[in-house]
Amino acid sequence: MTEFLHYLTLPYLLDGILFTLRLTAMGFVGGMILGLFLAAMQLTRFRALTWVARAYVTLYRGTPLILQLVFVFSVLPRAGIVLSPLVAGGVALALNEAVFFAEIFRSGIKGVDPGQVAAGRALGLRPALLMRRVVAPQALRSMVPSLGSEAVTTMKNSALASIIAVPELTLRTQQLASATFDYFEIYFATAVMYLVLTAALTLIQLAVERALDLDRPARASLRTWASRLGRPATGVPAAPAEPDPRRVPDRTDSGLGSVARLTQADPPPRSFGQALIEAYGLRKSYGENEVLRGIDLQVREGEVIALLGPSGSGKSTLLRCINHLEGLDGGAVLVGGTSIGYGDRGGELVERHVAKQRVDAGVGMVFQQFNLFHHLTARENVAAPLRWVHGWSREDAAARADELLAQVGMAHRADALPRHMSGGQQQRVGIARALASNPRVLLLDEPTSALDPELVAEVLGVIQGLARQGGLTMIIATHQLRFAREVADRVVFMAGGVVVEQGTAEQVIGDPQVEATRRFVRAMDSAEV
Amino acid sequence: MLTTKSTRTAGLATGALAALLALTACSSSEPKAAAEAAFPELAASAACVELREKNPDLVGATKTNALNPHTPGYEVVNPENPDEFIGFDIDLGDAIGDCLGFDVDYLPVGFSELVPTVASGQADWIVSNLYATEERAHGGVDFISYSKVFDGILVAAGNPKGVTGIDTSLCGTTVALNKGYVEVPLVEAMIPECEAAGLKAPTVSLFDSSADCVQAILSGRADAYMNDINTVKGYIAEHPQDLDSAETVMLDYEIGIGVLQGEHEFRDAVQAALVEIQGSGLQAELATKWSLDENALAEPAVLSVG
Repeated sequence: MTEFLHYLTLPYLLDGILFTLRLTAMGFVGGMILGLFLAAMQLTRFRALTWVARAYVTLYRGTPLILQLVFVFSVLPRAGIVLSPLVAGGVALALNEAVFFAEIFRSGIKGVDPGQVAAGRALGLRPALLMRRVVAPQALRSMVPSLGSEAVTTMKNSALASIIAVPELTLRTQQLASATFDYFEIYFATAVMYLVLTAALTLIQLAVERALDLDRPARASLRTWASRLGRPATGVPAAPAEPDPRRVPDRTDSGLGSVARLTQADPPPRSFGQALIEAYGLRKSYGENEVLRGIDLQVREGEVIALLGPSGSGKSTLLRCINHLEGLDGGAVLVGGTSIGYGDRGGELVERHVAKQRVDAGVGMVFQQFNLFHHLTARENVAAPLRWVHGWSREDAAARADELLAQVGMAHRADALPRHMSGGQQQRVGIARALASNPRVLLLDEPTSALDPELVAEVLGVIQGLARQGGLTMIIATHQLRFAREVADRVVFMAGGVVVEQGTAEQVIGDPQVEATRRFVRAMDSAEV
Repeated sequence: MLTTKSTRTAGLATGALAALLALTACSSSEPKAAAEAAFPELAASAACVELREKNPDLVGATKTNALNPHTPGYEVVNPENPDEFIGFDIDLGDAIGDCLGFDVDYLPVGFSELVPTVASGQADWIVSNLYATEERAHGGVDFISYSKVFDGILVAAGNPKGVTGIDTSLCGTTVALNKGYVEVPLVEAMIPECEAAGLKAPTVSLFDSSADCVQAILSGRADAYMNDINTVKGYIAEHPQDLDSAETVMLDYEIGIGVLQGEHEFRDAVQAALVEIQGSGLQAELATKWSLDENALAEPAVLSVG
């Protein structure tokens, strides 16, 4: 036992720890930096880069670290690259760890919900900004446990550098064991040292996890706490104390139902401006599956269009083609005269230019799955894009966010994270976010389809309020016939990738001319009644 | 809130970077030689004075010795001060350095890395109880021999398997050996002989260091271990209850100092210094100092395949 304690406190071994730490640091930081490049190369659309990165990953993941160490130490000098043992060890560790970091980064990035990217693109974020502000912060949180575990692996792997003369802990242990015959005492002492070091790494990992935890109580404001305490459960939306005046009447409101018929004639006849959205012969396929087969559609400024049609009729795809979340396979679509995604000569632009076109054209988008940025509060979801994309000051953006959250009845949840809101609440924030930059066009992609039936009304109420205000051009893909009747100036019915019928709600829903429309209206009516 | 977060992230990053810089900026603390100008008499000898005049480039230089410090008596870290190396080879290297006027420092590597380390220019020479063989010379070094080789066979007390040498008495046994040692092919050569005699072939268990091999004998994982007889005797002295020596085997090798192939000036200077060290009786003195009873001088000869 005294021997064990002697070795546990032996300066010779403790000095070895310094080398172990230096190797670990070089392997971890160097591996992380190189891993970032490798991950980026594999995620880019340049095939050659991807193949180079893949080849590197295959080579380094497929050969033992001990051979890689010997290679850097003994073979590189033949090519004129002579590194000191410590640097050679650090470099070899970094080259090896890079592969594993690259895979951690890749899985972290791929694990971020694609809806987050779609929402960011629709808001006009350039790819780099989107990565830095939306994807990376979310990916990082999911990667911390793997990164911590990789740090421990790096530290343990550093022991292999003993064979290339780095005087780290393991090498010193072996040398001492050879010299003293106190074989077990020395190895036990070293094991304890490694254990302490790796435990420290684990503690750092846990601290980082805690620092990045969005739910960490220390970071929540008093206001959030108060609002949390005042609510029985976060998942269930509490009904507002007073009925929301913007709420659309639906069949849950007894006594209203079919008598309260609101159409484009109420308020009195609206006037529309010039054509704002023009689609000509729009075509889009996913592989063999042709989703849009030549769509022609004109939408005038201020007009509210309800886009109806069975599932798979191409409604969502049409909306995503308008602001170039999806590229076109044929035809053209103009927003205020601009063909988003394409240059003057018709060539497809790179995403960072498309982002600017989206901002200039003023197209906002509301998604079926809400796609609020998971790591930001309701207020930040609205305010942050104003700062990032439109250069607003922090104060102005926050004020605008509060104003819009109040408008959609979400002021009381401004500090809440999306995961603590109901679907209906998230969608209302989603609408506020889409409205924040004063878009000319709002595209709403089945905004209530992912909601529980009792939450549909609160969202429809908000949209109806916008329609009544007038001025904002909207295209709403929906299955809600009643809602379409109430808000739409024009109903466009799609089936099989083409527009089969369009006109006022009375014409298309009340008196459909085409069999496909009739079938759909019958099915929807029977579902609603 | 965002400011706090990004400040914290920036703080974490800066801290990590600073720590990394601090760690990599630390001065390297390579082990230093135990003896400094330990052999003034030798250095003052006429032969050495002449050698220094003949090789002015070596005077004041530092020559890095690649060594595998796992052989007590020859080269290990000093248990009292593990930042030093001690042993016969360390003293011999210092003596050569004193004679030729250069300093010695050390690069401890795995046994199989000894030759590649010199061949790749990471170290200048090997004074590490390395047997001079043609195969090793093909790795890119020339050898200057200085001792004959006597191997001892370490067995458990009482030699329960009746090992009598590198012969058919090894059939069916497990032999612990250091990775890369010359005994490995010698024992492996017994495999066909055992099979021809209708006996079970010996199993070779390879380890990184001598201490690991000795542990294999102590724990019963191996039946025999071969190394320099003086080293074997050292282990028996440490564990007299548990270990025995079975036999001393004279191997057809000599122990040599390795230098980079083609560095004839350095090689010839080392050879000349060794002649003086042997002639003055210093090598025998050092062997006695380190209790290497079976150390038989070998006339310094060059083994080169280059």
